[in-house]
Amino acid sequence: MSKGKILVIDDEDIVRTSCSRALAPEGFEVKMAQNGFDGLKMIEEEKFDIILTDLKMPDMDGIEVLRRIKEEWPEVEVIIITGYQTVDTAVKSIKLGAFDYIEKPFTPDALIAAVTKALEHRNKNR
Amino acid sequence: MIVKKSLHSLTGKLILTIGTLMIVGSTIFWYFLFRHQERELIKNSVKYGYSFVDYVKKSTRYGMLTFQELLIQQTIEAIGSAEGVVRVRIFDSRGKIAYSSDKNDIGRVIDKNSPICTSCHSATEHPKDTPSWNISKEKDSRVLNLVQPIYNELACYTSTCHAHPKEQKVLGLVEANLSLALLDKSIKQQGIAITIYVLAFLFVISVVLCTILWNLVSTPVSLLAKGMERVAGGDLDYHLSINTKDEMGDLAAAFNAMTADLKKAKNELVEWGHTLEKKVQEKTEAIHRAQAQLIHSEKLASLGRMAAGVAHEINSPLTGIVTFGHLLQKKFAPGTQEREDIDVIIDQANRCSNIIKGLLGFARASAAEKAATNINDVLNSSLNIVRNKADFFNIKLVTDFDGTLPRVKSDPSQLQQVFLNMIMNAADAIEGKGTVTITTRTAKDNGNDFVEIEFHDTGPGISDENLEKIFEPFFTTKPVGKGTGLGLAVSHGIIQEHGGKTFVKTKLGEGTSFFIRLPVYKETI
Repeated sequence: MSKGKILVIDDEDIVRTSCSRALAPEGFEVKMAQNGFDGLKMIEEEKFDIILTDLKMPDMDGIEVLRRIKEEWPEVEVIIITGYQTVDTAVKSIKLGAFDYIEKPFTPDALIAAVTKALEHRNKNR
Repeated sequence: MIVKKSLHSLTGKLILTIGTLMIVGSTIFWYFLFRHQERELIKNSVKYGYSFVDYVKKSTRYGMLTFQELLIQQTIEAIGSAEGVVRVRIFDSRGKIAYSSDKNDIGRVIDKNSPICTSCHSATEHPKDTPSWNISKEKDSRVLNLVQPIYNELACYTSTCHAHPKEQKVLGLVEANLSLALLDKSIKQQGIAITIYVLAFLFVISVVLCTILWNLVSTPVSLLAKGMERVAGGDLDYHLSINTKDEMGDLAAAFNAMTADLKKAKNELVEWGHTLEKKVQEKTEAIHRAQAQLIHSEKLASLGRMAAGVAHEINSPLTGIVTFGHLLQKKFAPGTQEREDIDVIIDQANRCSNIIKGLLGFARASAAEKAATNINDVLNSSLNIVRNKADFFNIKLVTDFDGTLPRVKSDPSQLQQVFLNMIMNAADAIEGKGTVTITTRTAKDNGNDFVEIEFHDTGPGISDENLEKIFEPFFTTKPVGKGTGLGLAVSHGIIQEHGGKTFVKTKLGEGTSFFIRLPVYKETI
């Protein structure tokens, strides 16, 4: 039994792999999508506890992904991965219901901490 | 030519006019005076003439009464021979010359129309029985002719010879012709003398007038004319020295004032020319500066865009390096060579990450949430952060805050980043030892109110060569690995984004002041 099911949406393979390699040993079940459309399709098909999504992606950006997830599955926690944090995007994402945001490049520990916190939050609200 | 010119001159005209008037005036005056004198002289002559006639009558009276014709004739002849007496004659009542100083005349009857008779008898009037006189011209001198009637009296008609009846009123007349040659000579001499006096008088008056006019009018006028010529020729320093207290003096003073005004106006004009030139130069420089600033800003902006792109692209691979580094790190025990190598990889990746963070800060263009901020508070919180750092143990931090500082509209976190950067730079400049003074005050710039923050350090100052580049990204004087060269560029960008400006004043060997000016927030009450 995994600690939680996590979906990583990022157009960059190395970021997806990094997340997967950091979180899997901690007992999380990690799945990956390389864009927003694929990610949303996967969420429709199976249930995830936490979604990690990149902010800047072609076709559909992280803010749009966050908006759609919060519309349909408000109980799913979203953590935004951002290339560079600016105050207004951070404020915007928090307003739209993101649980947290994490800056690239992040250490495995920082990622694990953020995910663990989000999971605790989700379990508390369940 | 000279005569013509002098006649046309002011003095010439005045002298001509005054001279003519004086000649005419004195001629009339002297003429009437002369005539009056002549009349008086004639009147006196006539008076003496009558005395003379009376004398003739009285001398011959005895002869008349005793009818001694020879005696009478002799007496008349004697009287007639006196100097100045031309002729003495006695007529009877019928006009016959009874006695005369000229014997040839005796017995001649004078026509009733002759001047002697007409003086008493005129065609219309009754004969006058008063003495009469006239002046006639004979040869080359004038002659005074006097006629006096001899009236009948008691002694005459009671005399023994009873020559005349009692009824007869006039018995005859005495005529005396007296020469006026002496009188005429005297009058002529007097006339000559008077003419000489008048001419001398006129001459003296003319000379005096000439001198006065020359001194009062001609000299100053010619001086003025010369002055005008000099001024027209461009010599504005020319000064007229006519100090008389008359109209000429006033004119000269006015002329001097005019020249002075002209000079002032000319100088002002020249000054304006210079000022204009200077202003044009200043404006040109300002335009050049603005252009350079624009190019600089544009350069920074494009660099920022590029940096953002690069940062975004590099962050993902860095994530991989960091993540996999950490994963590997856990597989080796601390102290092993492999562990140390991996630590180096992670450290260097973190360094890259820091560089990129700096770049992103520089590239950050979006407006953050801004609120009315008290700059003193932000500075205090920035100071609290650094105060406990080991780097600041030997640095004296002095603050001189204006307690009444107006607030500015800003993002305090961004400002704090700027202030921290400034304080760090100051601390670096003094190499950990010395004083950093932070001052806040209000300032006016182009009529707008600003809050000014000065960061002053007692460091070595910045060279001119470096001063040009300090706001450029990646420019640093710190050793490699210590500074990214982005701090000031980022600070500059943030301040610019807040509508403020950053500038430096530095003196080699004395220290540097960084100034930040932020516009005062016009709070609506």
